[in-house]
This record gives sequence, structure tokens and C-alpha cells, in this order.
Amino acid sequence: MKALMSVGALIGVVGLLLLVGMIFDIIPSNTVRLVEGYMPMQMLTELAFYVAGFAGLSYILASMGMAVPRFWQGIGFWAFILLYLKFRVYPPIPFSVRAMYGTVSLVAVFMWVSSNEEDWKKFKQPIMNVLDAQSGTNKMLRYMYLILLPLLIGGFSYNAMKPKSEEPIELRTVHPAPPASTKVHGKTYVLQTSQNPYRVNPEGKYDQEYTNANIVEQGMGRLMKPNANPWDDKNQGYLKYVREGGEIFFQNCHFCHGDNLNGRGLHAFAFNPIPANFTDPGTIAQLQETFIFWRVSKGGIGLPNEGFPWASVMPPWEQHLTVDEIWKVILFEYWHTGYYPRTWD
Amino acid sequence: MRKSASQKVGVAAAAAFGIILASGQLSLPVVGAEGLPEGFKKGDLAPEPAAEMIEAGKRVYFTKCVWCHGVDGAGDGPGADRLWPRPRNFNQGTFKIRHTASGELPLFDAKKPTPGQNDLFETVTHGLPGSAMPSWEGILTEEQRLQVLSFVTTQLVKDRKFTDKQSETQTILQMGDMKPKPANEESLKRGSELIVEKKCIECHGTEGRGDGNAFNLKDDWGFAIQPADWHKCWNFRGSRQDPYNVKNIFRTFSTGVNGTPMPSFADNTTVDERWDIANFVNSLCERDVEGNPLPIDPLTDKPKINFVVPSNPVEGEIPADMENEAWQKAPKRYVAMGGQITHKPRNFVNRIDDIWVRSLYNDKSVVYLLEWDDRTKSVAEGKLPWAPTQVNIDVKEQDPKTGEDGSIAANQNKYKVYNDAVAIETPVKWKELPAPIKPRYLFGTNDQFPVDIVKWEADGSIRAFKGTGWDKDFEERDTYEENLKVLKSEWKNGRWYVMIQRPLGNKKDQDYDEDTFFEVGQYVPTVFFAWDGHNGDAGRKMAVSAFYYTFLNPPIPRETYIYPAVIAFGVVLLEGWVLTRRANKKKGKTL
Repeated sequence: MKALMSVGALIGVVGLLLLVGMIFDIIPSNTVRLVEGYMPMQMLTELAFYVAGFAGLSYILASMGMAVPRFWQGIGFWAFILLYLKFRVYPPIPFSVRAMYGTVSLVAVFMWVSSNEEDWKKFKQPIMNVLDAQSGTNKMLRYMYLILLPLLIGGFSYNAMKPKSEEPIELRTVHPAPPASTKVHGKTYVLQTSQNPYRVNPEGKYDQEYTNANIVEQGMGRLMKPNANPWDDKNQGYLKYVREGGEIFFQNCHFCHGDNLNGRGLHAFAFNPIPANFTDPGTIAQLQETFIFWRVSKGGIGLPNEGFPWASVMPPWEQHLTVDEIWKVILFEYWHTGYYPRTWD
Repeated sequence: MRKSASQKVGVAAAAAFGIILASGQLSLPVVGAEGLPEGFKKGDLAPEPAAEMIEAGKRVYFTKCVWCHGVDGAGDGPGADRLWPRPRNFNQGTFKIRHTASGELPLFDAKKPTPGQNDLFETVTHGLPGSAMPSWEGILTEEQRLQVLSFVTTQLVKDRKFTDKQSETQTILQMGDMKPKPANEESLKRGSELIVEKKCIECHGTEGRGDGNAFNLKDDWGFAIQPADWHKCWNFRGSRQDPYNVKNIFRTFSTGVNGTPMPSFADNTTVDERWDIANFVNSLCERDVEGNPLPIDPLTDKPKINFVVPSNPVEGEIPADMENEAWQKAPKRYVAMGGQITHKPRNFVNRIDDIWVRSLYNDKSVVYLLEWDDRTKSVAEGKLPWAPTQVNIDVKEQDPKTGEDGSIAANQNKYKVYNDAVAIETPVKWKELPAPIKPRYLFGTNDQFPVDIVKWEADGSIRAFKGTGWDKDFEERDTYEENLKVLKSEWKNGRWYVMIQRPLGNKKDQDYDEDTFFEVGQYVPTVFFAWDGHNGDAGRKMAVSAFYYTFLNPPIPRETYIYPAVIAFGVVLLEGWVLTRRANKKKGKTL
């Protein structure tokens, strides 16, 4: 038991030191990187480690006769949660959301310290002691609170009232409802019935099963299947078109959407909204191929208002590419990310 | 033992050199132990990667890399011709960022992904900022990165061999043994003298903005190349996603950049001098008001962006002098610029990638102070082939696949020179649109919701336009220009300083249908455009920003001081009440 708790305490101390280092910018906050896509799990694991660490710490301290009063345990844990949310989590969470999490964890801490009568009494005791001011220290504390509280609250309200210039929060619908049909280069395409003419098997027939079997493998790296290299000169059909689509992608699209299609291209840093990340399961993996065809052809300017057409720098690609080229690029995007396009049923 | 001995020799050599320096005898080559430059040691060539590694790497290469670097690794993939710098041609075995002496192959060991001991692995891991090479960390596993490098170093490097003991040597900079010198005043001062003495400023410019010899430099393949701008350390190729780390500069300075005119300075500087220079160069990188490094966004490896450009109020005239206290106190914002690649003619390679903006206002006007690094001052040599107000949609773009001779990289420094220029676009009648709706960032939505564009050009002109959509010609507004004023426009040592004044707008003097009216305490959407005349930028070939907001900071109202005092007093009363209650309750109990 003791050994286990010591390990917990050690984890707690190391974790706390790391966090303190991050707060004071001694350790860069990306030392232990939050990996895209795994972040929630990583955070939960980290928090679990911290809880284990705290349990261990308080056990060890208690067995050394330096038990931390329940009151400070509660306050300390709450402060820890707030600091963790503010300094560890990247990209940063807006204050309003942090305030919500903070309230929830405050309630949780209260439930924990008031779970039985005895604990609650222990928790209340320090507050009552200060109010009663029986000892010298408590008297001092009481006067300190008497002066500090009004000053602090006055200061906070001054800060809150001072005119500020924070960026207005604007929420954008990333995938708005598409139109029923779209007209590109003089031809009308009905989104529900159109098909990618290059999604074909070697015999030239539309074949989802065949093409899905030749996309890159899921898992780290998303590499091509060993026997399905689009750069093989003998390719006919699907893989040949994938390569042609890739050529168009790397002449036009990678500047924003990035060499790995993750929305981190050369110019991406300058734009807001940021370019779509196709490797994210929330983008093309969720959409039909014809939806992409509409988005690519009409670009940002073709979006309905909820998609912020005024801010998107996505070109209406019908100005730069032919219909065939657009279909090939879409084919390539699904191949390279290893996703299947969604179907309409 | 050996290490400490050679270190002692090194110290002795350095001390000896110090004495020579002090006695006024200069320019002896600096040689450490074993006849090598100071700080370097002989190393062994790494063993050949296993055949399975090479085979597995081929699969990685043909999924991820081939698109830019090409089938034979000659840097001629489908994406190459629209990039500048062009993707690396692996065939010659020339690699930029290394720990090895100038001209040598970089460190690569397929079994040892140790930072500081595996240059190519670190390049793939962290990417080369300022170029199209991204960071592959988190995308490819460590194993996959080593595999693809095994393939590249054995199959695509054709003119040299990483394992050939006859022709290759490894003289390795011992970064691990060295501790950076503290960047104190003395070190910075020596650094600032050394960059003159060692002729760094001949290429990098007097202020280090890369404007020294911006036109005549070529890389090994004959493509134009630019000296680094020391004020943008996040664009250093060797910054390894840690741009303010002085070690990166020390390493690049010690080993040089193979394939470029940047030599290694290991032979004619001591380690101590190199730290001074690295400290000084590092100190030039943009920092915040307190002198701290700018926060870097780990998703983009560029400074973090704040989209609000606050404008402070001033009493009376707005000063035209940058050194004035009002300007010194005004918050400075980093405005990121990308190439305009939405409509033709597209600008795939924008040389201006950021503008620093400050703003002040008084009761009549608002002034923007725009500063941006531009290696060359460009004033048009001839007339534009089309009117600057014209849309010019039908312009023919260069074919994406032109081969090396016709590529964008080959065309650098050969463009017809137009005016450097900068423009500020703000929507007209922005208050009539329900937030967040705005006129489109490129030249407005339509006649109903147009934009107001104020454009300054390097020939000294300032003009106003009305934009009514991306596909409509601009309307030039002849009468409005009288209201505009250029308070300052100066190009100095690779940087433009331009101060543009425009009216705040009011219904009495200005036209509500054509002008943007600025209101205190409101977010006025603002877009910035910039043109580099030597990049052939003109019309729509330009750099653009996203939507920012100009925010005229309101003067602090009186209520801000009164209410908190009232609240504090209320808290005192509340405290009194709680204490009395507690005291009464206790009394009741004890009685």
C-alpha cells in the first residue's frame, strides 16, 4: 500500500512541477505534446494520473504527520483544475467555457467535501475559526480579509468595466446544407444522382468497392497499399486518375490544405477560417463526393451565409480547373486520406 | 579523459587567439584540436540502413514525398514549378541544415533518431519553416521517418554515397558539449561589431532584414535565393520549431548552408565569437514590448495572431513621428499575409508574409502605421499593361508544369518592376449588415454592400477606390483623395514605414454610400493588401490578410471609477453583517 501510494505521490509531484513550469513559461507547454485526434483521451489520462498523484501525496503527508486539512485539499484541487484548463490545454479554451468547467468542478469539490457530516464539519472549521477570531493569527486573518475582500472585489469590477477590445466570437457552420443541384461550366449536376466519372475499375465501370480497396491504409502514416502505387506506369483506371488528381492537388490546393491534406499549408497561417483538414474524420469522411464537387467548384463565395462566404478564401475552382480536373482532385483526396465518400442512402 | 584534454587544448587555443586579438594581430585561421575548426570533432560514417528499411521507405516516399520531390528525387515533382524555394533536388546530396562541416553530407543514422545527432531526421520531423516543407511529426511515425530517409539517402542521392569512406568525411559540430554564452550587453555589442567585421551585413543588410545583396544570389542549381531576414526567426529553415533558440543560429553559422552562398564561419571565428554573433542575430528577432519572445502558435509555427487592431485616442493632431510617445505606446499587431490565390492572376509566392500595424485616432481622423519587411524598394519603371482598377480576369496564367527553366523559382528577380504598395480595405455601411455578415474580403459583395479601399503606392500616390465585387472593375473615387494624407512613407534598410491618415467619417462631410464610417467602441472589419513590386505584384497579384478588426478604444468613462468603489463599500457592509450575525449566534449559544 505504502509503495503504491509513494509512486502516486511521485507522479503527483512530477506532474505538478511540470504544470508549474508551464504556467511560468519555464517549460514550453508543448513539452508533452497533445496529439491531434487523441487529445481528449490524453487529457483524461493525464487527469487520472494527477488524481492518483494527489491521493498518494495526501496519504504520504498524512502518514508523515503533516496531513493537509480537508479545507485546503478542496481549495487546492479546485485551483489545480482551473490552472490545468488554462495553461495545459491547447488550443486554448475560451473563458466562458472555462468558467463553466470551473463551476462544475466547484460543485464536484463541494459534493466531495460534504459527502458526510464529519467531513463537512472539518471543511467548515477553518472558516468558522476565522469568523470567531479566538486566536491571534485568526484575528489577523480576519482583519486582512476585512480589508482585502472589498479591495479585490472592487478591483475585479473595475477590470470588468474597463472598455476592452476582445475579438468578437463568430460561429460558422463548416458544412452547410448543399443545394439540390449545381451548374458548373454550363452543365447542371444533381447532387443526389451525380457520380465521380473517375471512380472506375480497370474495365472503366463505376465501382466503389474496387476503388475503396485501393485507397491508402488507415493507421499512422496512412501509407498506400504496397501493390497500389499510383506512380506505377502500368496503372489503368482508378490509380492513374488518382495520380493525375494528385498532380492537380499539388499544383493548386496544397498551398492551403497542406502537403498531408491536414489544412496546414504554406499560406494557411494567414487565413481565418483556417483551411479544412481532410484527414480529420469530421470533413470529407462525413460528406458525399458530390457535396465536395459543389464546394470545390463554387468555393467560399458560393456558400450560404451561415458558412461565411465573405471570409472564406477558397477559390471557386471552376475559374481555374475543368470539371474533369475537379473530379480527379476529389478522387485523390479520398485516396490520400484513406476515407470512403459517404453515399446518399 | 580525451574529451577534457581536447577541451583544454581548445581553451588554450582560444586564449592564445584572445592574446593575438588583443595585441592587434588579426585574421589567423582559428584551429582547435586535431587541426579541425574549433568546436568540431571527427566522426564516423553511419552504417548503411537495412534493406527492409529502404524498401519500406519507398512506400512512404511514393505516398507523401513524390508529389514535390519527384520520382527520381530531382526536386521536380508536379508541385515543384509553383514553389519558391523549389523542393530539394536530392541527387547531389546537398542538404542545408547540418551539424557537419561545410560541404559534407548531413548526419543520418537509420537506427538513431537522437536530436542533435541526426540532421535529416530532424529536418523531416520539424520541417523547414518558410518553405513548403511541413513538419511530419505526428503524421509519420518515427520509424516511418527513418524509413523514408533510408530510401532517400541510398536511392535518390546519386552523386555521393553516405557510406563511402574514400570520399566522405564527417566533421561534427559538438553542440552537446557547448553551453550558450549569456546574451548580456557585452556579448550583444561584440556580436553587432562582428557581423560588420565578418561581412554578414553585405548580404543580410545593415539591419539584418535580408536586403543586402538581394538580387545577385544564386543557389547551386542557378535559382535566385534570398538572404534570411533576421527579424523573422520563425522563418529560419533551421529553426526546428524553436525559433528563439540561439543554438539554431549558432549551428547554421558554424556549418553554413550547403548549396547556398551562406558559408561556414567555423574557420575564421572562435566558438566564443560565434556565440556573440548568434546572440546578436537572435536579439534582432521580433519581440513584444517587454522584450520577450513572441508567443508562437504550434499549429502554424508563426507568431500567434490577435485579430483586433486597437486604436488609441489622442488629443489634437496625430503625430507623424514614429518616436512620439503616443506611437510608442500604441499596441502593435502582427498581421499575417498569404498569397492571393483565389482569383486570377494568382500569387503562389508572396514575398511579403506579414505587416505590423499600429493605429491612433482623434476626433476627425484615424491613422494607420504600417511596417513591413521588403528587401527591395520598388518604384515602377514603366506603366502597367492594364489599368490598376481593371479586374483582368482573363489574364493568362503560367502553365503549372513548365520545367525548371520556366518555373516560378527561375523567374525570380526577372519580373518587370511595379510599385510597392499597401492598401486598407474596410466595408461601407457595415453597420447595416447583421453581424457577423460582412462584404466579401476580396473587393466587396455587390453594389449594395461595397468596400472602401485606400491604396498607397511607392511612387508617393494615395488613391481611394470603391470595390463592388471580385468580378467588377474598381471605381476610382477622385474627390475622396483630398481627404487622405500620407503622414510618412519611408523605405529604410529593408523595411517600409507608411503612415496613412483617413477621416473617421461623418454624415456632414462624407458620403455614407461610399465611405466607411469609423465609430468608437465598434469592431470595424479591416483587410490589408500588400504588393511587392519586385515580385511582379500588381493588380490582384498581391498578398492578402484575413479579416481583422479596427477597434477605436473609447476613452475610459467615469462610471468605470465610480461603480467599483460603490461595490467595495457594499462588500464592507456585508462583512459587518456576517460578523455581527455570527457574534450574536455565539452569544445566544453561550448564554
